[in-house]
This record gives sequence, structure tokens and C-alpha cells, in this order.
Amino acid sequence: MKERKVSLGLLLRLGIGLLVLAFFAYRFYGVLARQAYGAETWARLAISGLIIGSVYAVIALGYTLVYGILFMINFAHGEVMMIGAFAGYFVLEAFAASGFSARQPVLAILITFLAGMTVSMLVGISLERIAYRPLRGAPRLVPLISAIGASIFLQNAAQLMFGSMRRTYSNPPALERNVGWVLDVAGKPVSITYTGVLTFAFSVVLMIGLYLLVQRTRLGRAMRAVAENKEAAALMGVDVDRVIANTFAISGVLAGAAGVMWGLHNGIIYHYVGFIPGLKAFTAAVLGGIGNIPGAMLGGIVLGIAESLAPAVLDMPFQLKDVLAFAVLVLVLIFRPTGILGEVLAEEKV
Amino acid sequence: MGLRTGIRTGLIAAIVTIFLILIGVHMLMGRLLQSWFYVPAHWPGVWLMVVLLGLWAGSRAVGQMKARSWGNTLLAGASAGIIQGALVGAALYLLASITQAGVDLRAWLTQMSQESIAALTLGLAPLPAAGFIGGVLLVSAVAGAAWREWRLRVHAARLARGERTVSLRERLLEIPAVAQVSSNPLSRRVLMGVFMVLLLIAPFFLGQYWNYNLGTVGIYVILGLGLNIVVGMAGLLDLGYVAFFAVGAYTMALLTAPQPHHIQMSFWLALPIGVLLAAIAGILLGIPVLRMRGDYLAIVTLGFGEIIRILSKSDVLTGFTGGPRGVRNVGHPVLFGKDIGNEFYFFYFILIGVILAIIITRRLEHSRVGRAWRAMREDEKVAQAMGIYTLKYKLMAFAMGAAMAGFSGAIFASRNSFTGPEDFVLLVSINVLALVIVGGMGSIPGVILGAFVLKGLPEILRELEDYRVLVFGALLVVMMIVRPQGLWPASRPQLERPRPEEEALEEAPAELVEGEVGS
Repeated sequence: MKERKVSLGLLLRLGIGLLVLAFFAYRFYGVLARQAYGAETWARLAISGLIIGSVYAVIALGYTLVYGILFMINFAHGEVMMIGAFAGYFVLEAFAASGFSARQPVLAILITFLAGMTVSMLVGISLERIAYRPLRGAPRLVPLISAIGASIFLQNAAQLMFGSMRRTYSNPPALERNVGWVLDVAGKPVSITYTGVLTFAFSVVLMIGLYLLVQRTRLGRAMRAVAENKEAAALMGVDVDRVIANTFAISGVLAGAAGVMWGLHNGIIYHYVGFIPGLKAFTAAVLGGIGNIPGAMLGGIVLGIAESLAPAVLDMPFQLKDVLAFAVLVLVLIFRPTGILGEVLAEEKV
Repeated sequence: MGLRTGIRTGLIAAIVTIFLILIGVHMLMGRLLQSWFYVPAHWPGVWLMVVLLGLWAGSRAVGQMKARSWGNTLLAGASAGIIQGALVGAALYLLASITQAGVDLRAWLTQMSQESIAALTLGLAPLPAAGFIGGVLLVSAVAGAAWREWRLRVHAARLARGERTVSLRERLLEIPAVAQVSSNPLSRRVLMGVFMVLLLIAPFFLGQYWNYNLGTVGIYVILGLGLNIVVGMAGLLDLGYVAFFAVGAYTMALLTAPQPHHIQMSFWLALPIGVLLAAIAGILLGIPVLRMRGDYLAIVTLGFGEIIRILSKSDVLTGFTGGPRGVRNVGHPVLFGKDIGNEFYFFYFILIGVILAIIITRRLEHSRVGRAWRAMREDEKVAQAMGIYTLKYKLMAFAMGAAMAGFSGAIFASRNSFTGPEDFVLLVSINVLALVIVGGMGSIPGVILGAFVLKGLPEILRELEDYRVLVFGALLVVMMIVRPQGLWPASRPQLERPRPEEEALEEAPAELVEGEVGS
């Protein structure tokens, strides 16, 4: 009889997995048995998770695009988002002061988004030009450390320039925060805010736009070619440096849009605001399978809903939301390092 | 030709200038000159920065030019200066006129106080002030361009005459006495001895404040040596290193403090327990992340560090760790019935720790373990093929690094008599990483140098306090581009005499030269 070999690592992973599942089921059973939360609470949590998740998805796309091409974690991506949020903040401040955002709310929001996206795009391009391009071809640790340095630099530059106080986005009166349609769930009201709907809708538009850009345009084809094989792409006449710069520009645009959405929906921004969303968006990208564009979208939304529901499901204080999100990252990397939809990477990475 | 490079350089220089003004570096320069050179006012420093930026713009424009002629130089310098001057002038005009209208800009841009803008306008109305700063930038850019062109010409002439440029180091070595001392292996030891004696007697002459700071540098040397094992020798980028520091510190605090557990153990018992628990934490973190790629490892360890901090702060563990308020009255070491918990004694205690850490690291580096780590760092697959059980050695690296962090954490908590979640922010990990990288990955003297430069210097240059972390970030990027091997690179044992064409490569550590290219 043939003996089946079971490796220790597999057993260990299975064991941990079963333990985690058992813990999960035990806590969830407790919550359900106590009827701690009504249906309206679950609905509220799921909706807020969906909205925050769509922002994560947009940020995660930036990570995935860059990772797919350069095999590098753009550590400063969260900071690019933060700067976009600040750009939007200043534009809205000016509009609010001049009364423009009361008169022309649609135009004001549009210009705010444009400003945030443009500024973030410029930051993204300069970041690539200054901190990453000279390191092309260096061992993997080197650009990663450079990216960490760039992230710290941007964070502190923002702190020195704008101070470390928390600032509140001055939304146009037509788009107040925490105001929206009210649904009726099991006899209790659940509100869907206008900012939330805007955030979700715009995220979906951006995702579709990016998908079309990558699949249908000349630039998208060049990006895919460079991701597949840089040398071969260069031989086919693709300007690799320009494609990489464009990739950073696109990921900057996405980050800027995410920053403005964050500001409009959550209301509060400060110099550190990009760090945690950046980390979570990276988690989302890994969760969906890094390098995989639909994966990043799915990963973002799954992570958003998971982190919103997990404290309630596991009967833990909501303070531990961030801890649970990181725990998701660790669990994914242990059990399925290639993510839900699988990685889409050309070369094998060590 | 000169025009295009000039315009491009002018744009870059304008952005840099406006950025530096917005983060208040001009005022910093003013204060620095005031306090160091006893300049009576702050405007000389402010304008020194402006002139230097103009000079830089002109010189950079010429440096980037391909066709070299005096006409081109003038064109490049002038166009760079005009663009830089016009943009900076426009920015200043905006800032000054808004301030003049009675709006306090500090609500949005914290550094743009009345005083800070007045230092640039010199009390003029916005328009003439903008013209003035633009003019100054233009003149200095042209001067910078001319200076660079002259330098390049002198250099070219020297090359044409067949003269070799001599570096400062070579010039120093030509002095017989210097050559003799530097070639004598004994002289190094003598120098080390003198340095040690100086360190030993230093606390008698330095005050409490400097003893404390030197102790902090020492703690960071231990932390750096620990991270050096993980990052420098084994090549595992750990961004959550502060977590082990926290484990050591909290173990010490909870075991010796009267609150919240009332164990009040002796310092000498708590110290090894802290080190042991930190090492165990290192192994526990190591197990799940062992198979991860390098960059995933970085982000997971970062997340782990944050988890530890959030947990120690949260309500869940308040009963156990004291929550956000931290733990007070951490125990001091007591030797022969005497409390030796002040800065003076702690300095010696930390010095002993540093020496121990250096000895351990050195022994490890040249042992079988150290060679296995280096092999893993260079290429994991090849190392495996050579029969190295990488899982074991990775765990060893994590455990060793964590134990050193736990040791310094325990001392840190006891010395401050306090520990709390805010002692363990991500910045600590970044500080340690920065000092390891600036000093030289994998190099013991490099780590010590890095700790002095990054932890000691800022204490001397207190004016720079606000800008320290900004500089750290920039330094990480610049070091990676300019000198990835660090200030004091690790020297590898040379088994063979390198052939002449390989000598150039020897400068950079092998992992930077031989690493896979283009993947």
C-alpha cells in the first residue's frame, strides 16, 4: 500500500485554520443567541462596510497596478492619497468661503475631485521619477526601503506644512454628511447617506474606467506587455519608462479620487490619514490576488465588509477593527497567499 | 539646448524653493545662524537659503547641459533663474497679499506666520517684494551657472594636462605619519582603546542630560544590532521590530511595578524573563511568516507591530497592561542594596549591554549560523540546495533579533520608570531601520555610527527637532540611490584576492551587486 505523506506544515496550517473557524463559530453563535444586534444594525454595518470597502478597492487598484509591473510595494501610496485629500480640502474650503459650493454643488464637487486627482497624479509621477526610477534593477529590498523613506517624507512634509490638527471637510450644503435616504429594515430606520452613494458610485465608475483602460486602449496593452516581460516589450517598441510613469500617474489619479471620497464621506483628514487605509488597501490587494485588477476590487469590498462586520460577529469592541483587518492579512498570507482570484504576475518572484 | 534644460531646472528649483518656504526651512536657517554664529538677526540665514537655492538652480542647469559654451551657460542660468524667480515671486506675492488683507494663513499653512512672511518680504509691499526675491534668485542662478562652468573648465583643463584628481583620502595617506598609523593593525586597537576610555570616563564630566542621551544612543545601538541580524545578515525586512521592544518593556514593567499586578519582582529576575519572552514572541511571529516573500514580510511585520500597539492601548487589555495610561513606577535595578537606577549608573549598564551585544553579533557573524544567514540573504534557493535548513535559521534570526530588542526594551522601561503604548509607535521601528541602513546593513561599526548620527546628532542640533523625521525619510531614499551599502559598509572576509576588474564591485555588498536584476 502506498503511504500518503502529510507534511507537518500542512497539518499545522489545518490545525490553525480549524481553531480559527471554531473560535469564529463559537463567538458568532454567542452573538446570535443573545440577539445582541437587530437586523437594522447588521444592515447598517454592511452598508458602511460596502462604502468603505469601495474606497479600499480604489486604493488597492493603485497597489496592484504598480506591483503587477514593478513587483514592488509602493509604500507611499497611502500618502499619495492623503495629499489628494488635502488638495480637495483646500479647494472645498475656497469654494465654501466664496459661496460657490452652495450655488453650484455639482460643479464644485467635480472640480474638487479633479484637483485631488491632479495633485495626486503629479505626486505619483514625481515619486516614481525621484525615488524609484534610479533604483530600477536593484535588489527588491532597495526600492522597498526607498518607498518607506518616501512615505515618511511625505507624511512629515504634510505635517510641517499643514500642521497636525484634524481638519473637517466643508462639504457643499447639498451633500452634507450623515444625511440621506432612509430605508426601513424590520421597522427600524437605516439611512443611506448621499456621500456614501456618491463614494460607491464613483468608485464603480473608476473601476470600470480602469478596466476598460487596461483592456481596450493602447496604453493598457503596453502596460500589460510591460508587466508580462519588460525586455520583450522594449524590443517590440514599447517605451518602458513612459509606461511605468503612466502607471504611477494612473495609480496617483485613483489615490487622489479615493482621498477626496474619504474626505467627503468620513469628514476628517490629517497628515496620518493615508497610513491605515493604505495598509488596508494593500491587504485588500493581497486578498484579491496581487497584480489582479478585478481581484483588487473584490478584495477591497470583501475587506471593507469584513472589517465592518467582524467586531459584531466576533463580539469584540469596535476599537479592534484595525486589528481584525490585519489579522485578515496574516490569515490570507498563511492559507492562500495567492489571494481569492489568484495572482496575475508574469515572472516568479522570490 | 541651454534654454530647455534651464527651463526644466528652473521649474524643479521653483517647486523645491516654494516647498522649503512652506515647511518653514527659511526661518529654521535664520534661527540656526542666530544661535550658532551669533548673527544678531534672522534675515541673513533666511536670505542665505534663498541665494543658495538660486546658486543650486544655475549650477544644476549647467551640469545637465550637453553642449558646453559660455553663451549656453548664460542662457541656461538666466532661464533657470527667471523661471525660478518668477514662480517663487508669484507664490510670495500671493502669500504676502493674503496676509496683508488680514487673513491668518496659519489656519491652513501652519508655518506661514506674519513673521515668517515678513522675513521674505523685508517689510516691502507684496509686488516689490516678489520682484526683489525674483531678482535675487535670478542673479544667484546666473552666478551659480558661471561658477559651475568655470569649475567644469578647470577640471577639463586639468584632465587635458594629464593630471589626476586626488581624493582627500589619498592626500592624507601621502603624509608619512598617517600612512604608518593606518597601515599598522595595532593602531586601530589603540584608537578603539582611547575611545573606550573616553566613554568610560565621560559620565563623570557630562551632566544628567547628556548621560541620559548617551544612554539612549546606547539603547538604540543594541536595537540596531538586533535588527541588523534580522535585516542585515539574514535579509528579512522586519518593520514591526518595535513589537519586541514593547514585549521586553512591558514584561519589565508589569513584573516590577506595583500597579496593575503587584508582583514587584526584582529587576535582575525580570530582565532575563523579558529577554526570553521577546525571543519567544520573535519565534511566534516567525512561524506564520516564514514562507512569505520579502516584501510581504515587511508589511505583515508592520501590521503586527501596529496590532501590538493597538492592543496595548485598547480597553480589552486595560486590566492587564494599564491601557493608554501605561505603567508607572517600574522597578529599578538594585545592586548590593543600592538603587542604581539613575542616568549615571544606567549609562554603564547600557555600555555593558552594548559590548555584550557586539560580542554576540561578532561571534554569530563568523560562525556557521552567520554564514548560513548570509547565504540565505544572497539567494534562498541556492542556500537550500546547499543543505541549509532555512526555516531553522530564519527562526534563529528572528529570535536573536527579538531577544536584543527585548533586552533594550526592559532597560528602557526601567530607566524611564514608565512605559506606555506611545513608547512603541511605528516611528521607533523606522528609526532603527534608518540607523541600520544609514550605517551599513550587516556592518557592526556601521550600526554604531548610524546610532550616533541619527540619535546623537539630533540631540545636539535641537533646532532641527521638528525636521528630524522628515530628514530620516529623505535620507532613506537618498541612501538607497547614492550609497546603498551605507556609511560604513560591512567588509566581507576575502578568501581570494579579487582580480582588478572585480575590485570596483567589492565596494558594494554582494547582495546589491549580485541580486537578480530586472525581476
